[in-house]
Amino acid sequence: MDNKDNSSRITGLKASAREVREQIIEMIYRAQSGHPGGSLSVADIMTALYFDLAKIDPANPDWPQRDRIILSKGHACPAWYACLALRGYFPMEELSTLRRYKSILQGHPTAAKTPGLDATTGSLGMGMSMAVGAALEGRLTGSAYTVYLILGDGELNEGVVWEAAAAAHKYRLDNLVAVVDYNGLQLDGFTDEVMPMEPLGAKFKAFNWKVYSIDGHDMAEIVETLEQARDYQGKPVCIIADTVKGKGISYMENECGWHGRAPDRRQYQQALKEIRSAV
Amino acid sequence: MTENAQTAAPANLQARAREIRILTLQAMGRLGHGHVGGSMSIAELLAVLYFAQMKVDPQEPSLRERDRLILSKGHCGPALYSTLALRGFFPLEWLDTLNRGGGRLPLHCDMNKTPGVDLTTGSLGLGLSAGLGVALGNRIQGIAALTYVILGDGEINEGQIWEAAMAAVQFRAGRLVAFVDYNRMQIDGTTEEVMDLGDITGKWKSFGWHVQRVPGHDTTALNDAIDAARAETELPSVIILDTVKGKDVFFAEGLVASHHMKFDLQQAREAVERLPGGKREGEI
Amino acid sequence: MNLKQSDKATRRAFAERMTEYGDLDKEFVVFEADIGKSTYSYLFADKFPERYFNLGIAELNTVGAAAGMALGGRTVVACSYGVFITMRALEAVRSFICYPNLNVKFLSSHGGVTAAIDGVTHQATEDIAFMTTLPNMKVLVPADTQAARACFDLALATPGPVFVRLMRDPYYELYGEAENFSIGGSRVIRSGGDLTIVTYGDILFQALEAAEELAGEGISAEVIDMYSLKPFDQEGLLASIRKTGALLVAENHQRRNGLGYELSNFCLKNYPLPFENIGLNDTFAESGHYPDIIEAYGISREHIGRAARELLSRKQAGDRHD
Repeated sequence: MDNKDNSSRITGLKASAREVREQIIEMIYRAQSGHPGGSLSVADIMTALYFDLAKIDPANPDWPQRDRIILSKGHACPAWYACLALRGYFPMEELSTLRRYKSILQGHPTAAKTPGLDATTGSLGMGMSMAVGAALEGRLTGSAYTVYLILGDGELNEGVVWEAAAAAHKYRLDNLVAVVDYNGLQLDGFTDEVMPMEPLGAKFKAFNWKVYSIDGHDMAEIVETLEQARDYQGKPVCIIADTVKGKGISYMENECGWHGRAPDRRQYQQALKEIRSAV
Repeated sequence: MTENAQTAAPANLQARAREIRILTLQAMGRLGHGHVGGSMSIAELLAVLYFAQMKVDPQEPSLRERDRLILSKGHCGPALYSTLALRGFFPLEWLDTLNRGGGRLPLHCDMNKTPGVDLTTGSLGLGLSAGLGVALGNRIQGIAALTYVILGDGEINEGQIWEAAMAAVQFRAGRLVAFVDYNRMQIDGTTEEVMDLGDITGKWKSFGWHVQRVPGHDTTALNDAIDAARAETELPSVIILDTVKGKDVFFAEGLVASHHMKFDLQQAREAVERLPGGKREGEI
Repeated sequence: MNLKQSDKATRRAFAERMTEYGDLDKEFVVFEADIGKSTYSYLFADKFPERYFNLGIAELNTVGAAAGMALGGRTVVACSYGVFITMRALEAVRSFICYPNLNVKFLSSHGGVTAAIDGVTHQATEDIAFMTTLPNMKVLVPADTQAARACFDLALATPGPVFVRLMRDPYYELYGEAENFSIGGSRVIRSGGDLTIVTYGDILFQALEAAEELAGEGISAEVIDMYSLKPFDQEGLLASIRKTGALLVAENHQRRNGLGYELSNFCLKNYPLPFENIGLNDTFAESGHYPDIIEAYGISREHIGRAARELLSRKQAGDRHD
């Protein structure tokens, strides 16, 4: 694709990412509950998947040949819900019902309730196990779909992640693409303080995955690498994305305290202002 | 506290390993079955640990300052029992009661039943976490003892092993030493078929451990490796042992089926007679 | 009855007492799995950093390592949410703590649907079933700040494993500082003669409100806080049901294998009588605000009142076998 196409493609995705961020803050503010930090850090990656890379059809959420997208770090579901709503899986009005009784948008993703969700997640590590199962299903049915898996960095503390990593290698699941939202923070502090993960790439390599490293907020790099990862053959792929927790809202960026807290009215208004004026 | 046999010559340790095999085969034969494959593959390791390396006192199995051994692959308890009996923790006659109701030697290690057993095991994956806890507890109390954990190779499929591995480095558990009995077989097939371990050395290195890999039936190599692991006081150490499942037992060696086998005392006796080296003077 | 709105959840009260207790008992340590800022174990971390171990998002390893440290008798308090302690780490709790009877105590937050807003994966609605089924495990559920503090002390003073179910949000304050709590104890909060309502934790407050309403209709309900679920106060229960002749058990938990099943088993053997138990009816709950969820899932004061009236009419119709 030529530069002009690419540039408008990327510009378009950046605009979508702004909308996604706006909806994230909006729904968390309305609910006065939710996880903004980790939703914002993953917003660009989710946007690239839902608005470009992934082979999906909002009119047919159960289309058997669709790509699967599993947000294993389920607490970041505002990002997931925002993408699904903006892509038309359900009406935008639903977003303001986040976490309320009878809402189709549960506190942690519940596949039975929300159109477009490929898995129920929320208990960290289990999404990776499920992604391996989904990739195996694709292999069994001779399908061509890709399973995109988004992991938190703190989530990689979970042993079950490494159980699943070994299994992905065993079955040579090259239809599996994992992205690690490497924002360097978890609930109780920086990942370096709580449970350091370095050398992260070396770990996945030792488990026989193909590893890429990117800037998780550079849309051009995200798109290019996801394409390479999707097409890579013979090994499951792990993209380690350097991100900023709370990206897009100055007072949230890199702050542990915004893992699971809703903004007040003044903070919310400032957040919207910053998101809308971003380039 | 009795002296550990620091001056144990390799020939002596090799002989000990042989005795461990003999006692274990006899106990299992008397019972009618046993996890013979994985018990045989760690005979040399147990010999080196209990007769050359570990600071233990058979008269005081609960000594606070003792080195500890966690057999995380707890189904190989019988091999440990033979070793403990030889070391004097309890009478050799107890081995005749292996897995008998009311007896003190159950098939999987039970710390409440058997003197010298440091942890109840049997459910794979728990031993390294527990070992880490022991090591940290020792550190708080200013106890310089070593904590040894024997892992199965199939066992390191368990995610919990990697949680413990991460934490052991985070907490700089330099007095924790793990062994992987890399006999390349598990229940449903070879490790390569069931869950290929791949670059096993690279995995432990990437998790930050001090890593060595040795021929697992060479008592000199084992002794040297444990010395090197003990000298590494900053990071936890893992020693990967290349072993043979069912080593030296003619009906078991190199067989996936050796994980658990039925055999009687007659077959056990035949296996003993066919152990390499022939019967020696004064052997049990 | 002196009910005051609370501003402190029992998880916090428990952790605060734990932090104070660090001065009284210098030996115990605390294990955490990256939610110290939620379980409030971070308070202990700030004060006694050398006795605090945060093992990251690895609950199974956290419980397993707690077991290892407890082998020589040291007391460890392991902190996490109910779903992770009783399910992700259940095997370690059972085979490596209960079976060897080690001194590991559990600060288990987000019990039942008190974690309403977070959704099903974070609501421990089977935690009591899992924990009471384990031999050697003691189970406590404090209803307020003073009870939570007392339960911490009890947990440490009692040999072997102890599971303390704590709640996500503040409800009410009921107990004064001088109150006496014990393993196997219970407390009659409201005396009555027509039926006995046994409950624990947040549902205690629902039951008290229901009892108030029933009193207005001339029905006198006795309300018992059974804060010790295992072992439970058999004598206390018998004394009450001999007086009232009808028993209603209400809990923030599945009906199946909750306290209701335990007490009905006991009554059938020792004192058969008209009985009803309410809880979640073999269903997962969902996300929502707490008042909506307890109403929708049948454990609110309205449901308690309705069940009480129905039970009473059964009792009056002579539904008993003695």
